[in-house]
Amino acid sequence: MLTKSQARTFFVGGTVLFSGLFFALTFDTHRKVPDQTNADQITPAVVAGKKIWEENNCMGCHTLFGEGAYYAPELTKTVDRRGEAWLRVFLKDPEAMYPGRRKMVKYDFSEEDLDNIIAFFDWCGKVDLNGFPADPPLRAKMEGVAASSAAPVKLLPSPVPAIMVTAACTGCHSVAGEGGAAGALIGAPPLDGVHATKSRDELRQWISDPQKIKPGTAMPDLVPAVVSEEQLEEILDYLYSNAETKPAA
Amino acid sequence: MKFKSQKIAYWFFAAAMLLLVLQVVYGFIMGFAHMGYDGLHEIIPFNTARAVHTNLLVFWLLLGFMGAAHYIIPEEADRELYWPKLAPIQLITFLLVGVTALVGYHVNWWEGRKFLEIPRPLDYLVVINVLMFVVNIGMTIWKGNRFTTTSIVLYMGLLFAALLYLPGMIAFDNQTMDSFYRWWVVHLWVEGVWELIMGGMLCFLLIKLTGIDREVLEKWLYIIVGLTFLSGILGTGHHYYYIGTPSYWLWIGGIFSALEPLAFLGMAIYAFVIVKKGKRNHPNRIALSWTLGSAIISFVGAGFLGLAHTLPQVNLWTHGTLVTAMHGHLAFWGAYAMINLAMIAYAMPLLTGRKLWDAKSAGIAYWCSNIGMIAMTAAFAVAGITQVNLERRMGLDFLAVQEEIQVHFFGLILAASLFSVGIGAFIYNFWMHGLPNDEALDPSSSL
Repeated sequence: MLTKSQARTFFVGGTVLFSGLFFALTFDTHRKVPDQTNADQITPAVVAGKKIWEENNCMGCHTLFGEGAYYAPELTKTVDRRGEAWLRVFLKDPEAMYPGRRKMVKYDFSEEDLDNIIAFFDWCGKVDLNGFPADPPLRAKMEGVAASSAAPVKLLPSPVPAIMVTAACTGCHSVAGEGGAAGALIGAPPLDGVHATKSRDELRQWISDPQKIKPGTAMPDLVPAVVSEEQLEEILDYLYSNAETKPAA
Repeated sequence: MKFKSQKIAYWFFAAAMLLLVLQVVYGFIMGFAHMGYDGLHEIIPFNTARAVHTNLLVFWLLLGFMGAAHYIIPEEADRELYWPKLAPIQLITFLLVGVTALVGYHVNWWEGRKFLEIPRPLDYLVVINVLMFVVNIGMTIWKGNRFTTTSIVLYMGLLFAALLYLPGMIAFDNQTMDSFYRWWVVHLWVEGVWELIMGGMLCFLLIKLTGIDREVLEKWLYIIVGLTFLSGILGTGHHYYYIGTPSYWLWIGGIFSALEPLAFLGMAIYAFVIVKKGKRNHPNRIALSWTLGSAIISFVGAGFLGLAHTLPQVNLWTHGTLVTAMHGHLAFWGAYAMINLAMIAYAMPLLTGRKLWDAKSAGIAYWCSNIGMIAMTAAFAVAGITQVNLERRMGLDFLAVQEEIQVHFFGLILAASLFSVGIGAFIYNFWMHGLPNDEALDPSSSL
């Protein structure tokens, strides 16, 4: 059986060997990370955004690259998922967007802060993370189930008006076959058939002040901060462009 | 106890107990927030509670390790502490720095890097403080009358833990590199050098509690800490799967972290075999229970549950979910909290001369805290696995999923309440021992 000095040699030898390997791999990681992370695109705005991320301990609730706490959403691809316009509205007053839901601290960011935060997230979203976060493998199957059980509705014409993208309507609602990833869960219905269930006036009132009609709803206050009165009419024109043709029963 | 200067260990332990209570309180704040009761949001938002909860953990565990070192090293080196007067100064300044950091977290003063939130100016004070500790303990060993493997392993753990704090202070503009070196501290602490500390403490406790020959125990100690480094150093790779580092970390991290449970398994088998062979019927059975419990729960929590989500194919889905919290709780409890509580349960009667090892509170403490923590782990597991399936695999919205799993946090809070009863009983038992005193000195004792 092993003697004590052999055991010590195993410990010291193993530690030295594996520390050496670890240092070599660290060296190689240093060489490869700039390419993999697009380090040349780390602008002063990205650095400033990272500073805001750290100074407010955003990691104390959120995850980034999957690292942090598990109280608030993973943010690596947030610019892709939500769009810049949505993030700007949200960050100005997080609770207004999700009244009565889980809270985020209101930080009173300046416009420049917002530019920097978004620049940082945008850079993060483009880093090659070896496949993280992965696309949900079961989503396609779920959508198949939902589609086969619902009555077919004639889709609105594509593309959707630009304002519906910048105001991030499609972040929650599906329309013309676009967007709506999270819709069914937070109660945001598809909009293609909305003309059949609500009058144009009702819909105008709803978008103008959702909280008044349904306190606690997740639908954000968009008018007039993000969507002007004229743009609201543009959206309504679009949503009612199918109104003549009755939806298939 | 054999030496007067060992008495200082009591104060490290007492401070650790106080911080443990606070850690539990902040844990409840987080648990309730997850359930939807976030009434403290304006004063203690979740990120504050989270930073305080995890930093208090590190803080009280380090105090426990320091207390253990102040108790073990004089006994192993067979002399008084080299600078007995430095120890209380070091303790008080350490507490001041730590408490300042914790208060800072309530006013948005922090670094915002998970586990290493301490603001930079305080980092330097931590370094100076830990240097005082490392030098005092080091000089005690150096000038000691005997060198033992136990004290060397324990000391190496403490020294490397101090050195590994430094890479966490390097600044990077690149989030990926920032994270890369953050894990040098966090991973190489808990899955590396802290295991040396744990191994050293375990070895000391087993020598004392079983009376088995030191040569046999220390030989196996080398094998176990050898296995720790063999797997744990490259096992750091499991933090480098998905943060923007090269893809070879996927298989390097995968293979070596799959080996990590070996060290913990070794430790569990070692503890059991030794206790079975034990010649001495040490009256402090509860300290032995904590020691064995630590060896076994650390294998389950750190080894087995770690393995359960460390493979890259699994981690792709579980990375950044409550599954991590599930593993984290039982791992820290088994490996580091329990070994500290074992040391305290062992040392208190010897420091104070009061033998409260058979008191009812000692048994309640052991069973309630352990069953409570295992139940908490189960609650996190159910919540975490549900989150992985709904959010990561089906693609449902984050908040919608969180609302679905709120009910499991009710289970968590029930389990945490049982756990708290155990911690309360442990502290009651601690309190009833009274203060350390010279009447407990017994230079000839081998217990």
